[in-house]
Amino acid sequence: MDHTSDPGAMRYVIDPGRLDLVEEFRASPLGVHSPELRKLLARMRWGRPEGRLVLIVLEPGKAWRLSRIPKRRGDPMPFVDDRVFTSLAEAEWHVFKLRWQDMTGTTLPAEVFGDL
Amino acid sequence: MIYRTNEYLGYPDRISVPAGEAVSFQLSSKQPSVKVEVLRLRCGDVDANGPGFKYEVMTSPIDGEHACLDQPIRPGSNAVVDHDGALVPTGGHWCFGAYVYPTRIVDNAKAVMGNWCERSARGYALELDEEGHPVLVLGQANGTPARFALDVKLRPRVWAFVSCALDLAQGSASVSLIVPADGVRPAAACSKSFALPQVAAFDSGLPFLIAAHHLNGDRQYTSHFDGKIEAPRVFSCPLEAEALRVFDGRQRTGASDVGLVAFWDFSNGISSTSIRDLSPNGLHGNLRQLPRRGVTGFHWSGSVHDWRMSPQEYAAIHFHGDDIYDCEWQTTCTLDVPAHWRSGVYALRLTRGGDDPDRDCESYVTFFVTPGKTSRRADLVVVASVATYLAYANSALRLYQVHFETLMEHVLWLPQDDVFMQENPEIGQSTYDCHVDGSGRAYSSWLRPILNMRPRGYWFNLINDTHILDWLEEKGIAYDLITDVELDRQGARALAPYRVMMTPTHPEYYSLNMMNAIMAYQNAGGRHISMGGNAFYWRCGFHPAAPAALEVRRGMAGTRTWESEPGEVHLAGTGEPGSLWRHSGFAPQKLVGVGFSAMINDTCGYYLRTAESEDTRVAFIFEGTGRHDKFGDFGFRYNGAVGSEIDRYDLELGTPPHALRIATSEGLGAGALPTPEEFRTVVDGLDGTQNALVRADMVFFETAHGGAVFATGSITYGMSLGHNNYDNNISTITLNVVNRFLDPRPFIMPARA
Repeated sequence: MDHTSDPGAMRYVIDPGRLDLVEEFRASPLGVHSPELRKLLARMRWGRPEGRLVLIVLEPGKAWRLSRIPKRRGDPMPFVDDRVFTSLAEAEWHVFKLRWQDMTGTTLPAEVFGDL
Repeated sequence: MIYRTNEYLGYPDRISVPAGEAVSFQLSSKQPSVKVEVLRLRCGDVDANGPGFKYEVMTSPIDGEHACLDQPIRPGSNAVVDHDGALVPTGGHWCFGAYVYPTRIVDNAKAVMGNWCERSARGYALELDEEGHPVLVLGQANGTPARFALDVKLRPRVWAFVSCALDLAQGSASVSLIVPADGVRPAAACSKSFALPQVAAFDSGLPFLIAAHHLNGDRQYTSHFDGKIEAPRVFSCPLEAEALRVFDGRQRTGASDVGLVAFWDFSNGISSTSIRDLSPNGLHGNLRQLPRRGVTGFHWSGSVHDWRMSPQEYAAIHFHGDDIYDCEWQTTCTLDVPAHWRSGVYALRLTRGGDDPDRDCESYVTFFVTPGKTSRRADLVVVASVATYLAYANSALRLYQVHFETLMEHVLWLPQDDVFMQENPEIGQSTYDCHVDGSGRAYSSWLRPILNMRPRGYWFNLINDTHILDWLEEKGIAYDLITDVELDRQGARALAPYRVMMTPTHPEYYSLNMMNAIMAYQNAGGRHISMGGNAFYWRCGFHPAAPAALEVRRGMAGTRTWESEPGEVHLAGTGEPGSLWRHSGFAPQKLVGVGFSAMINDTCGYYLRTAESEDTRVAFIFEGTGRHDKFGDFGFRYNGAVGSEIDRYDLELGTPPHALRIATSEGLGAGALPTPEEFRTVVDGLDGTQNALVRADMVFFETAHGGAVFATGSITYGMSLGHNNYDNNISTITLNVVNRFLDPRPFIMPARA
């Protein structure tokens, strides 16, 4: 299998202690990031599509809601919660926190974690 | 307002229609009726931050409500052979079998060959069950199917010969599997005998099928085979499985094979959609829903990669349960396009009619009106990139690709059309996607709903292109519109009436005729404004026997989401090699001076003028702008005129030596990454922060007989035109180019050219 197709092609291991990278992302979810944060994000964004968090566009440029890619083609694709995002930066930050928790098995400090 | 865009779906019978001619629309909905209006689009982009959704409502004879059927899509390819009973087992013996290479063994039984009908439970067939066991299925007088399964399984992606033998006199049958040796695996064979039911019902009264069962008697099919089938054969005499396998099907004059009922040689007519029986019975058949031909067969030696050189090595057909060429819906309404309508991008707007219209429900079917016989031609023509729209039609990249979120560098934003595609995969995906068996999709047709070629759909390609139309309208520049399908079918004749042609944001997929048409036009004094990026990149073709379908073979290079299986680079339809034009000796640089260099996954850039831009030959381009301006450090959606996919100048790849590189990109970063054919060895320093080849170049050159070419080398260029109410330096230089190109004064090629 080639790199583009292999869900396991990203080697980076996320260090749960690197709260500096969390702060860097939080400060600018859509900005230009440091090389270390780029590695972390590439790892977070890579993998098998099934189960991946995605934003469904409710209104172009205005409103988005979270969903997940289902396991099989043809399966329904419900929203994961009631939250409506009106800013892409806010949505990026939210997904970052969910993935951090999922991939490191650790919870971020309460003041960072916010209202997940 | 949150719109529901898929309550009505539809497609036109022809993608482009000359004014004065008719186009039919096939629509489907669960609603009993649909309100139809016809729009001529100026800007199809509904994004609140863009130029706005702009269109003209055209009065037409089809305006108003129409009764609407709920029309299903039934994907899946197979062969159908009408046989008048010749393929119903009779007499004492009946043997049949084929080479198979299953690519997906799950879920449900997959038919190999027979006339079995699920509804009536009559007929006979050879199939693979849910786990890959070969099974003989027979109808019985009591109406229940009899199933005889071999207790060994086929493996996915391994060639095997499966067969059945019926001894009707003795009331017995056998099912056999022969797996020839391959790699480290030795040959294997297995067979099992069964007693036949006392009264079998072999005759479903229906055609013989390869790669599907009949669902019912209404020419609907089920249990489509995923994988390759080669050389199916039927005999009416006793034959051991190995004898049936090694039967030599090659025809010799004056010689016939005892007991041969049918032998379908798929190496015959690879570029067609018919299959040929080499037996004296002439039981020829037809293929449905465009399975893939020109694929390697059991006998592929690896010594040829072009099926035309040795068709016998390409005697297989790859069938898919999710192949879809034509939805075959009934026509809802037919529009006689008035002869006086302007050419352009048109769309049916479909809404709920009645007394209580649902304002949230709004859907579109896009089509293109081209100049008719009596149309007065403008001097400039925009060539819409229909082949590219098809290549991306119903792209599910955001749903199913491992790499795609990392590539886009943000959480993926899925339009609700993507949700619809996930929940309704029968609509068929794009040539970027894979079939359900994991093999790449080689075909995409317009005879099915295309969700991302509509207003309110995903913006890449068509909607982005309408930003250029919006700018032309804003600047009062008269233009006609044709599509690249006209270039494919009519060649340079389609361009001959025009002084200037313009290709839009992303004309990526080009057939041989399209490429040659533009080259001939340019060399005959035509002027070409190439507004986009990643242009003229893939060598592809429309299928001669299925002309609404584009065929793409990815090859083994280029920016690609799948690649061709070994030996399967050549198009089935035309035989020519697919893959990149660069690898067919016609890199985009040879046509327009620049060719694909990189994808921009993060921040877009802008252009700065080069020293060459001070040449008096190009002084007209920069009038009204500053020597050291940043050109396009702005733009809608992408925030920069250099972005998405970008092209560069390269003399070795064919940029004409007299071409001037008048501007080049600045501001690209770590998310600007080269396309794979731009490097031969992976080293550090390939990204835009270090790699000098990761850039967009703006070029100009003169052609013979007074023509010229201007190329921007960037997809996002067009989305900068409308910035600051169309008053910006990208708009200025584009207008300068358009005005000079419209001026009949000839361009003069420099002597050193």
